[in-house]
Parts: sequence; structure tokens; C-alpha cells
Amino acid sequence: MNDDQLEEVLADAARDYNAPGEVPRDAMWARIADARRQRTAIAAPIPSRRVWFWPSAGIAAALLIGTGIVIGRRMERSTAPRTAVAASRDTTTRRDSSLPTVARRETTTTPKDSTIVAVHDPVPNNPGPDKQGPDKTLAYQLVVLQHLAGTEAMITSFRAAARNGETDAHVGKWARDLLGTTRLLEASPAADDPVMKRLLEDLELVIVQIVQYANRGTNDPEELDLIEQSIKKRGVIAKLRSTLPARDGLAGTRG
Amino acid sequence: MGWFRTARANGSICSIVTEPSRLNDRQLVSRCLGGDPVAERALYDTHVERIYRLMHRMAGDADLAADFTQDTFIRAFDRLAQYRGESSLATWLHTIAVSVALNGMRKVKRLHGRVESVDGVEGSPHLVVPPTGFTGDLKARLHAAINSLSEKLRPVFVMHDIEGYTHEEIAGSLSIPVGTSKARLFDARARLRLALAAVAGDHIA
Repeated sequence: MNDDQLEEVLADAARDYNAPGEVPRDAMWARIADARRQRTAIAAPIPSRRVWFWPSAGIAAALLIGTGIVIGRRMERSTAPRTAVAASRDTTTRRDSSLPTVARRETTTTPKDSTIVAVHDPVPNNPGPDKQGPDKTLAYQLVVLQHLAGTEAMITSFRAAARNGETDAHVGKWARDLLGTTRLLEASPAADDPVMKRLLEDLELVIVQIVQYANRGTNDPEELDLIEQSIKKRGVIAKLRSTLPARDGLAGTRG
Repeated sequence: MGWFRTARANGSICSIVTEPSRLNDRQLVSRCLGGDPVAERALYDTHVERIYRLMHRMAGDADLAADFTQDTFIRAFDRLAQYRGESSLATWLHTIAVSVALNGMRKVKRLHGRVESVDGVEGSPHLVVPPTGFTGDLKARLHAAINSLSEKLRPVFVMHDIEGYTHEEIAGSLSIPVGTSKARLFDARARLRLALAAVAGDHIA
């Protein structure tokens, strides 16, 4: 046997080495999907999320108030300050409408204060035991309203910049901050409302895409198109706008 | 992860625009991250055959190969957001796959009570017990010799000489330089030749 023959024999013998049979494609996929479902179910109440929830929520709340002021696009529609924060500084009668969307509730609580109370202290200071639940939920709802206003402004800014072929680093940072807050709110009582929960999940997805787009720093029209599709197919802007005017209406009842 | 929950909730919302099979790696990943189940399945279908074959060649057992393949894709979907497109998706998946296979083999071998040195040049025993008494059977001798290659040499030989991967693909999958891949293949072949010397006689030397 010469070297060439040996190589031939080697190659032939090697082909049979642990030769695989038919790939159990569907069986493996079923198990993969099952395992991922179980993981997601287990991972839903992530302990680590709780660890950074309180400090992050404080920062996020402060950021939201700031961005809410900066945004201002919606505030320009009214003659008086109409953010949930400003409007609800006036004391009014609390009246829960029991409607699903958070924007349909009214309160006597000062939002800025109640936001901080809700974020830093799971038990509000003043109300009795029967009022703690609604006040806490309300505070979260007010944070959500501010967050939604900020998110709408960020998405609008991003789309405007992206259409001009610009990747704004500021929008990327803004989106990252909003992403953290969105996830916090998803784990908060604010997401008890199924409508709000869906909206927050849709927002999370869109913001993730925007963050990734901004991180890459390239203006890829196809990726931009995917983001646009996500926004449109999930009706994100429409949902935001259908929620936020209710907030304005709420402010308008304050006096 | 939230977007996976969203994916299930929304079904195949964004899968209808472009056939996933026509997308490039980054587009496919982007769709998967967006929760498109059709894109996820497309990613799986595109790569599962090659990964399963490699897992089977390395493990020598269909059940283990299936386990390793499943674990590879579960990990890949979990970490998909970390894929930056610096290498091809196939290379990225193979990096995970090889790591899963080598770790899995170590665990199985530990269970079987076999002690081995991961970095040892001298061979590591394979799950399949090398046949004995087959001195005249070149194939059996060769298979036993491949099994006895070290964990550094065997993946390179299996990937290159059996599964037909290029040195670039191997280097990417094993996170080693291309030159190292070539050197390991040379070393592996030399060891196999030596192992077969008794069968093939003087022609080999």
C-alpha cells in the first residue's frame, strides 16, 4: 500500500466515523421550544431585577420628569401646563372609573411626591390600609403616563433623525434609559392592567430595536425598515396617542 | 426576556414581509430578536443539519448529539442579542456548539468515571470503546485512533477531514488562529498514520 492508497483508505474510513443518521429536526425543535417556554416562565420574576429595581426606579422617575419637561410637544397643545405631574399638583377628588386604562383615573395625590413614595417605599406614608393599594397603583400609573410621553417623543425623534440618515447618539442613550424604565414598569403594579402590559411589551420590543440600531452606529435602511414595521404593525404610536390624550383631559379637569 | 413573551403573544406578526430564508444573518437575527417565530425556525432550519452532524461525529451517539444540538440552539437564542455580526452566524453558532459538545463530553466522561486530561497531547478516551482484536481492520483501527486523539486535535480533524470545514471556519469556531488549526490537523494526521502503521506496514513511514 503506497501513500496515495493509504490516503484514500483513510478518507474512506473517516467518512464512516460516527456517521450521523437522519437529523431529528422536528423532535429537537419541539424540545428547544419547550425548554425556552419553561425558561421564560421561570425567568419572568427575575430576582436580580428586584435588586436594582428601587435605585433604578428612583433614577428613572427623576429622568422621566426631566424628559417630560424637555419634550414639551404635547404640553404645547394646551395653554396651561398639562403634564400629569403639573396638573395633579392641584388637589381634586379621587375618582376611580374602573376603566382599564390608567389615564382614566383621577387623584388627590401630588404625583411627584407619590412617584417617589411609590418607588422608594412600598408602603405609602399617609393613607390608611384601605387606601394604600389604590394610591400606590396610582403613583405607578402616573409614572407610566410620563414614561409614555417620553417614549413617544423618543420614537418620533428617532424616526425623524433616521429618515435623514442620521444616527443620533443622544437618542440611543435616551432609548437605553427608556428601555430600563420600560422593563421596570413591566414588573410593577402598573402592568396589572392587561392593556398597559401589552403596550409596555410592544414598547420594549421597539426600544430594543432602536437601541441596537443606535449601538451599531450605521444607517442600515433595511434595519430601519424593520423598526418601522414593528412600530406600525404593533400600532405603537396609535396606542400611545390613544392613551396620552386622556392624560391631557385629566389635566384639564383640574381647575 | 420580554420580547420573547411578546413574540409568543403576537405570533408571526412580522414574518410576512420577507421570506426569512432570503434574509442575511443580521436581518434574520433582528427578526428573531423582534420575536418573529418564523425567523427563529428559519434560523434553526438553516443551521441544524450541519451542527447536528458535527455533534454526532464528536459524540458518537444519536441521543447525545441531539442533546448537544438542542442545547446549542437554546443557548444561541438566549444570547442572540450578543451577536454583533462580526463573524457569520454559522461560525457564531458553531462556537457555541463546539463548546457545548466539549463540555458535554467531559461531563459524560466524568459520569463514566473516566479521568482524562483536557490539555493532554496523549489521547483522551472516547465514549465509544475502541475495538480490540481488529488489527486487520483498517477502519476499526482508524476509528479507534480518532477516538484516542486529544480534545485539541480531534475536533480539528473531524471538522476538516470528515465534515469538510475550512480552516477559517474551524479557526472561527474554536477561537484559534488559522495557523493553529492547520498545525493541529497536521499533528492529528501524523498520529493517525502512526496508529495505522502496524496495519499498513512500511509504506506509511
